[in-house]
Amino acid sequence: MKQHIYSLLSEALPATDLESDFLFSELDSLGIVTILVILSKEYGISLDATDVTPRNFKTIDTIVEMVERKLNK
Amino acid sequence: MTLEESIKYHAQMTPDKPAAVCGKDSITYSELWKAIESKAQALADEGLMPDRPYVFRATQDLEFLKIYCAIHHAGAIAVPLENKVNDETFNAIKTEVESCEFASDIVDILYTTGTTGKSKGVMLSETALVSCADNFIADLHFSPDLLFIISGPLNHIASLFKMHPVLTVGGTVCILDGLKDMNAFFEVFNLPFKKFATFMVPASLRLIMQFSYDKLCSLADKIDFIETGAAPITQHDMEQLSHALPHSRLYNTLGGTEIGAVCTYDFNDGKHMEGCIGRPMKNSTVEVTPEGNIIVSGLTIMSGYVADEENTKKVLKDGKIYSADLGYVDENGLIHLKGRLGDVINVGGFKVDPSEVENAASSHESVKDCICIAGTHPVIGTVLKLLVVLKDGKELDKKSIAVHIKSRLEPHKVPTYYEAVESIQRTYNGKLDRKYYKK
Repeated sequence: MKQHIYSLLSEALPATDLESDFLFSELDSLGIVTILVILSKEYGISLDATDVTPRNFKTIDTIVEMVERKLNK
Repeated sequence: MTLEESIKYHAQMTPDKPAAVCGKDSITYSELWKAIESKAQALADEGLMPDRPYVFRATQDLEFLKIYCAIHHAGAIAVPLENKVNDETFNAIKTEVESCEFASDIVDILYTTGTTGKSKGVMLSETALVSCADNFIADLHFSPDLLFIISGPLNHIASLFKMHPVLTVGGTVCILDGLKDMNAFFEVFNLPFKKFATFMVPASLRLIMQFSYDKLCSLADKIDFIETGAAPITQHDMEQLSHALPHSRLYNTLGGTEIGAVCTYDFNDGKHMEGCIGRPMKNSTVEVTPEGNIIVSGLTIMSGYVADEENTKKVLKDGKIYSADLGYVDENGLIHLKGRLGDVINVGGFKVDPSEVENAASSHESVKDCICIAGTHPVIGTVLKLLVVLKDGKELDKKSIAVHIKSRLEPHKVPTYYEAVESIQRTYNGKLDRKYYKK
């Protein structure tokens, strides 16, 4: 799943360093929205503003964990 | 009364009242005034002279407020640049402004793409700043019990010039570092204030409505008003926002660095007229020519561009700004916008000159030719799209081109979409045919 999310996001956000350990700092609001839209559509999960936390968006791994938690609900 | 005189007044009258909050930090009027006096002295000790420019990065925190006001208090000119501006641009602007002489009434220089499409230093007088704040206070009804949330960059007029009316009336400013942490935005409403207000570009309003509509509805009784502007807002978004906040005032304002804030319309009137910007504010006059050009005069307009008499003369004639906006006046005297002259692309309120993006992209090793056009994002609306003709044997490497542009320009000038094309459409004399791509 990580590789798939990585390729989806790197396609949509080419200027963003997705391997950063400080991904939330790298992203602007357009980047955040883009991730929410892509992941919601791809995995059929409901993501909203409350999911946009520095912890959830810290790295690509924490984003993957967030998706996995949503899928397991 | 100037911004600094107002802060001094409130420091005497309501010393313990918070002037500004930012995350866990806050500062009272008394503390702010002391900090301004102390920083102004430090700047003078460093050699900053009255009427000389002071270039600095606009950090999104309380420090910005202190330094911005201290520069004014020292009699100098504040030149705030985007926080993430690269050193090359920072130094070029510093060199430009430091080589110029300025009239004694100039207090701010704001760099903007704005009306001309090129990055220009807009010189603003004390009168323009005070009159702009006066326009806001009179027409948007800023009050002392208000907490005003500023989430946009503080070097941008839409955010910077909201500090003035808030602090002039003795209210409180809340500074947020953008809107990407929407939880931080909503947590502000837990602070002990009676009324809340904010400015958001239409793209940010759509973002909030798309991902936090219920939360927004739950704040209906707390939100005194929301102002939008800098880019067109759709009728659908106006209706949705009015539905979420039925008792709040919802303004669509015409403003710009060269003209100040000049017209506003409360679209929570049951009509939600798309493009309507209402009537001129108290210190401004707005004319619409029979051809539809919008001309602005009054106390809020700029004094001119830094070291650019030619472009100043193109825009500022006989005390009037000939804006790039087009519009008309309806039968009730309300002014409506209906487009814009020129090639500038409006990305979430940031005006981007596409040629600047093309110039940056052209120096990439794989790019033979390119054009930057407007693309559509499902939530944000207008974003930048780069069409690229690749050199022989090269493949489209979006990441590499994006990183290349990012190292040369501000983040909002980096295209979101990239597409390889066989050729770029040009006019008969070889110029990029931008009209072709607007169809």
